[in-house]
Order: sequence, then structure tokens, then C-alpha cells
Amino acid sequence: MTPILSTRNLNLSYGSKQVLYDIDLPFEEKSVTALIGPSGCGKSTLLRCMNRMNDLIADCKVTGEILYRGEEIMNSDPVLLRRKIGMVFQRPNPFPKSIYDNIAYGPRAHGTKDAKTLDNIVENSLKGAVLWDEVKDRLHESALGLSGGQQQRLCIARTLAVNPDVILMDEPCSALDPIATTKIENLIMDLKTKYTVIIVTHNMQQAARISDTTGFMYLGKLIETGTTGTIFSNPKEELTERYITGRFG
Amino acid sequence: MTAQLTTGWREKGIRSVWLAAALIAASSVVFILGYLLLTSLPIFFETGIVGFFFNTDWNPTGSTPSFGIAALLIDTLLVTFGAMVFAVPLGLMAAVFLAYLAPPKLRDIVKPAIELLAGIPSVVYGFFGMIVLCSFLQQTLDMPSGFSWLAASILLGIMALPTIVSVSEDALFAVPKDYNEASLGLGATKWQTISRVLVPAAASGISAAVILGMGRAIGETMAVMMVAGNAAVIPSPIWDVLSPVRTLTATLGIELAEVASGSMHYYALFGVAAVLLAITLGVNLISVWITKRIKTGRPLVSMPAAARRILIICGMLIAFTAGIVILGIGPTLLAAAVFAGFFLLRDRVSHKVAERAAFGVIYAGTALVVATLIIILADIFIHGLPAISWEFLTTAPRDLGREGGIFPAIVGTLQLVGGAILLALPVGIGAAVYLNEYSAGTFLTRLLRTGNDLLAGTPSIVFGVFGFAFLVIFLGWGVCLLAGMICLALMILPTIIKTTEEALRSVSPSLREASFGLGATRWQTIKNVVLPSAAPGILTGTILSIGRAAGETAPIMFTAVVFSKRFISPDLFEPVMALPFHLYVLSTSVPGAQTQQYGTAVVLICLVLLIYLGAILLRTHFRKKLI
Repeated sequence: MTPILSTRNLNLSYGSKQVLYDIDLPFEEKSVTALIGPSGCGKSTLLRCMNRMNDLIADCKVTGEILYRGEEIMNSDPVLLRRKIGMVFQRPNPFPKSIYDNIAYGPRAHGTKDAKTLDNIVENSLKGAVLWDEVKDRLHESALGLSGGQQQRLCIARTLAVNPDVILMDEPCSALDPIATTKIENLIMDLKTKYTVIIVTHNMQQAARISDTTGFMYLGKLIETGTTGTIFSNPKEELTERYITGRFG
Repeated sequence: MTAQLTTGWREKGIRSVWLAAALIAASSVVFILGYLLLTSLPIFFETGIVGFFFNTDWNPTGSTPSFGIAALLIDTLLVTFGAMVFAVPLGLMAAVFLAYLAPPKLRDIVKPAIELLAGIPSVVYGFFGMIVLCSFLQQTLDMPSGFSWLAASILLGIMALPTIVSVSEDALFAVPKDYNEASLGLGATKWQTISRVLVPAAASGISAAVILGMGRAIGETMAVMMVAGNAAVIPSPIWDVLSPVRTLTATLGIELAEVASGSMHYYALFGVAAVLLAITLGVNLISVWITKRIKTGRPLVSMPAAARRILIICGMLIAFTAGIVILGIGPTLLAAAVFAGFFLLRDRVSHKVAERAAFGVIYAGTALVVATLIIILADIFIHGLPAISWEFLTTAPRDLGREGGIFPAIVGTLQLVGGAILLALPVGIGAAVYLNEYSAGTFLTRLLRTGNDLLAGTPSIVFGVFGFAFLVIFLGWGVCLLAGMICLALMILPTIIKTTEEALRSVSPSLREASFGLGATRWQTIKNVVLPSAAPGILTGTILSIGRAAGETAPIMFTAVVFSKRFISPDLFEPVMALPFHLYVLSTSVPGAQTQQYGTAVVLICLVLLIYLGAILLRTHFRKKLI
């Protein structure tokens, strides 16, 4: 099966500082891939390459290939690309608008105007992010009144509303308490029936619990990749083993 | 041996010094407000509230005098409204450009430059308006004279621009960067992100900017007086922007010098000043309300989508009807077609085209703002620099200022400003220290804070009115240096108290606690910990007040200055010359002195800008030292 997204020989530098070295990594469709590694290893940077969020950083230079369904993304229109490859950020970042307007933001930006259609999208997205029952009676209240965990699920729902193909998640639980984290983890496992999920996490147990494939990165290099079971029970590289057994990181 | 746990007399003594400063500040605030309001009472007994506000006939010196301020009030609102029509869209465009589109290096140059322009004295803007803007309007629009509502609104718009740009840019820049990423990550374009997320998120700060700009426009005296034509009529028809108008402030500026003390006309002018105070109070209350909303993060207005839609439709209907009445049917239909076309096309064209069009408009708006400000400075400097010579700077004027120099005016301005600072600084800083370090929420602090907030936005001419009535006439000092110093000091006192309080508040409480925890007394803590950290903020505030005092005309024109004086004396009870007033008289009453006018304008601008530059340098110096 051809991967939905893959990188080949991907190198990235900020100014004169190289951050990623020769990353070759395929991502399978409708599965969860986790990127793990100590802080500063480049996993978030790699994630942000996939929908060209690194374009926002002035002196960032990328070489190599990133193919999305066979098409080189560096030649694409970043705006259209991001409609296909959505992103959920580390800290919940709802807009200072109502819950409804947060979800409807993406579809509206892409030209959906019809109120009925928007209502449907909002309801389905919130259901998809398992938030509907908690907020259905206060859709027009400010999203900033939600709890941290609810806000993050709102951000996931907001991404679902654009109907993406791939969802990138950059440590989505790092600002949340354990109960909210469990809810998000369950949600991610539901999402993979419909979407391809790539998640960056510093929490190894989380990666082991929810992902199908795991990639371990260290100092800007992809050290090892394989099914999550293999990586955690029988890693090939000594570095990987030392990291997952907690001897450094 | 006793434990010696009672406060020493020294601490008590120091505390009472600060208390005294706070009492002086509070009592002067209360006194000014009370004096103005009490003196205005007779006019309300004479005409009644209704007669004063709703009579459109202002004719105080006629055989049957009439004191109705309706026309003045309406003209003030029209001029302010017109200024906002220019300044708000342009200012917002420039702010969006600076916050989101400009390369950081360009932003670092353009923003301080625009802020510096807020410091140009209003009399200089008025001078430019008279010489350049009004004659331009006269020629292009074929008017008998360019002095009109339009000229006043354009000029006030230009004057409000720096405030609006600077404050809304701060608000836009402070919007969390997360919103930007979140929106782009959802596949929105940069323009969609700016227009639908970032600008709405900064809406509260932007409204605060607009209110501040409005406050500046309402309170302006000199510039308006010099270009508005000053006929106390309501434009007829009401949208006739070429009609001359007269604002409340201009009325004070024009008539105060000629009024007989104690006449009904005199009380009527105090009535006008009281109305200005009331407007200031309204504007301040709105801005306090907005600031509170900003702090709690609530949106300014929240209404259901249906209500918003109805409001938009009503607004469009009103605009359409107004358009037909003002412009006639043809142009209105054309405008409506362009408008409708824009909205229909907006979703048809690709996001790239839409974005480019929007950014094009923003670039053009910003260019217009920068170009306007450059044109003003260039015009003044190109014509003014040749007038500057050693003789011009060091001799007294001759032949009504057509010959000779402006030396006495330079010295007079320095005397006035120096005296004002000497009076205002100890009281202002002392009061702020007392408010912030010694007391918490007593009656005195509430009184001082409220009165101070009210006076901070008060039009400067009101201080002139107070000084003229109380110091010059009631105390019988006559027009003299000391009266001018006091007026300027009263004018800058609220700013000094406010900025000092802000600087003190920005010192982290944990620093104070650390010092108290080591057994330091309150005064030791203030002296060794609080004041050194707050010094840069206090200094900046002080220097900005000096700049403002140096450029002001309205508070001193009835209290301290004369047009011509050959000798310089340090006598506090003698009148002096001053640069802003000299420029005002040269441009309004002395034909054939154009070189000297421009020369005076250049010297005045340079003086004020030097003071501001000093503030900026000092701030950077202190910042480096602290880190």
C-alpha cells in the first residue's frame, strides 16, 4: 500500500542551524503514527513541515521531498494544502468567538455560507470530537469559557469541520490533566477510522497506548521507525532502547 | 531593654510629606472642577438648561444677546465625526500594515516615527492647515475661502492619526500568535486570518484607540480655530462640508480674550467649558468601560446573528437613503452597485486575488498616511530652514515679527515649561507615591483618582479658562508668567500622576515583599527598591509632559503671553513671549511674515521633538542599565 504522506531526504535548517537531517518516513493512511524523542529533537519541526506551517518562520529552509498522495507539497498552495492536512496545537487555542463560530470558521473561510449546512457541520464536528453533549446548549457562548480539555476537543472539532485527510497533532495533551488526556486519547483512536493521524508526544506511554506506528527521533535524525509493538518491546537500535527504558531523555 | 516595635518619627514624617502632595493634588483637582462648575451656574439660571442646549442662536454680543450652544455643539460633533471618517479607516489600515504585513525592521522605524508625530504642537498643524490645506481646498473646490468644516475635519483627522495608529497597532500586535497559527492551520488565507480573527480579537483595543483619537479631536482648540472659519452656524444643508463651522473649544479661544468679566457672556463661556468637561467625562467613562472589558476578555458587543443581520440591513438602508439625498440618485446607485459587486465577487474570486486586492488597499492606505505626514514635515522644513539664522535665534522681533528674531519667545517658552515642571513634578510624583504605596482605597485616593482621570482628558483650553478667570482676574495677577506656569502645571499634573502610578504599579509586589521581609521600613523600600525600578517610566512620563507643555497654546494664550516684548525678565508677574503663541499670531494676524512663520514653526517642532528624542534615549539608557 502506498503511504498517504511521505518524506524523502528531508533536511531543514533555521538560518545556519540544521534541525532535521535526511528524514525518510512514510505515513500509512487511516492509522496513528507517533513521533517520540527528547525535547529539541526536531519532532515538532518535522510535523510542521507536513502542512508548511514552517513557512511562517522567516529564515527556515527546507530541502528534500514531502509527497502527499504522490504530489510534492512544496509546490502546492499552502492554503489549499492546509485544508487537507489540518493541525491541532500544543496549547488549546480557540478563537475568542462563540463555540459555534469557532467550528464554522474553517468552512466559512472556504466559502460555505448556507446556515443549514453550517449547522450540520458544527453538529457533526462536535459529535466527532465527543464534545456535542457537553456544549449543545451553549453553542453561542464564548469558547473561552470551556475547560482546558474541552477547549482542546473544540480545537479538534474545528479541524474536523474542514474535513481534512490528515490531522497533525503537536503534543495535544501536554497542557491537560490526566482525565482530559484520557478523553483525547480515546478520541484519537476513534479518529483513525476516518483520518490519518500524526501525533508528536513526549509521553511514551501515550505513544504506546494509541499509535500503530512509532518513529523515534534524536538530535534531528530519525533513529528508528516501526510498528509500535516492535519499537517498545524489541527495538533494533540501542539508543531507542535506552530512551524508552528511561535511561536518558 | 524594650523591643522598640513602634514606628519612628522619621517614617511618620516622610509619610506626611507624601500625604501633603496628595492633598495638594486632590484639592487643586477639586478646586478647578468646582470653580468651573460654580461659575457656569448663572448662565443656566439665565437661559435654563433647555434654552442653553437647544437654542441654535449664539450671539453673545448682540443688542439682545442670545446664548444657545446648539449650533456649537452640533458643529463640534460634525467636525469630530468628519475627522473620524478620515482617520479611522486610514489609521486602521496603517496599524494592520505595521502589525502584520511590514517587515520587522520597517515596523521598528515607521512606528516610532508616527508616534513622534503625535508630539507636533497643534498650532503647527493649524498653521499648515491655514497656509497649505485651506488654499489647496479653495483652489480645487473653487470655494470663496478654504476655511470650512471639511478643512477642520481633514486636519483633525491627520492629528488623530498617530494616536489611532499607535494604540490600535499595540492592540493588534498583542493578539496571541496562537490565533494566527490556528487560523492558518485550518486553511484560511492570511487576509482571512487578519480580517476574521486577528482584527476582531483586537476590537476592544481598537475601539479604545478610536475613543482616544476622538477625545483628541473634540479637545483640540488651536488647529480647529485656525481653519474652521468659525461661523456659529449649523451647516445648511447639514451635510454641506464646505460650510464654515465653530466648535465649543474655538468659541472659548476666540471670545475669552474680549469678554467682560462678570457679564452674562462670561458665565456663558464657563457654561461652554462645563459642557466640554461633561463631554470629556462621557468619553472617559466609555474608555474606562472598554478597558475593563479588555481586561476581562469579554467582547464589547455580543448579539445573536439575527439581530446583527437586521442591524446591518438597517445601516445599509440608512446609508442608501442618505446617499440619495446627498449625492443624488445616479452616484448612489453606482456606489451601491460597486458595493454589491464587491460582496458578490468576494466569494467568486480565488482567495489569492481577494487577498491581493485587500492588501493592495492596505498598502495604499498606509502609503497615504505616511505621505501626508511626510508632506507636512517637508513643507514646514523646506520653507522654514532658510529662515533660521543666528540673528533669528538670538534677537527680538521687529516690525510685528516681520523682521528680527524670536529669541524672547524661545526664552519665554523655556521659562514657562521649566516653571510648570517645577510646580507639577513634586506634587505629581508625591501624590502618585502616596496613592500607590501608602494608601489603599480611602476616600482621598478615590477622589484623587476619579478627578484625575476626568482632568486627564480635559481639553487644554479649559485650563486656560480657569487660569484666566481665577488667577488673572479674580486674584488680580494680570497676564503673567506665574499664571501661565500654573495653568501648564495643572494641565500636565494628571498625566504625571497617571504615568508615575503606572510605573510604580509595574514594579512587582514580590520585590516590595522581599524588602519588607528583610526588615526594611516602608520608606527604605520605596527609596531603594521601588523608585529605582520605576524611574525610567516616571522619567518618560515627565519628559512627554514637558514636550506637551512646550507646544501648548490654549492654556497660556489668555494667562501668560503677549505678542511682543523686547526684554527678557525673570519677573514672575510680568508677561512673556512664547513660541506657540508667536506662531499663532504671526499666522493669523500678521500678513507678509511667511518666512518668520515657517521659521518659528521649525524651531517649535525641533524643540518639542528634541524633548521627545531625549525621552526615548533616556528610556533606552535606563533599560540597558536595569538588565
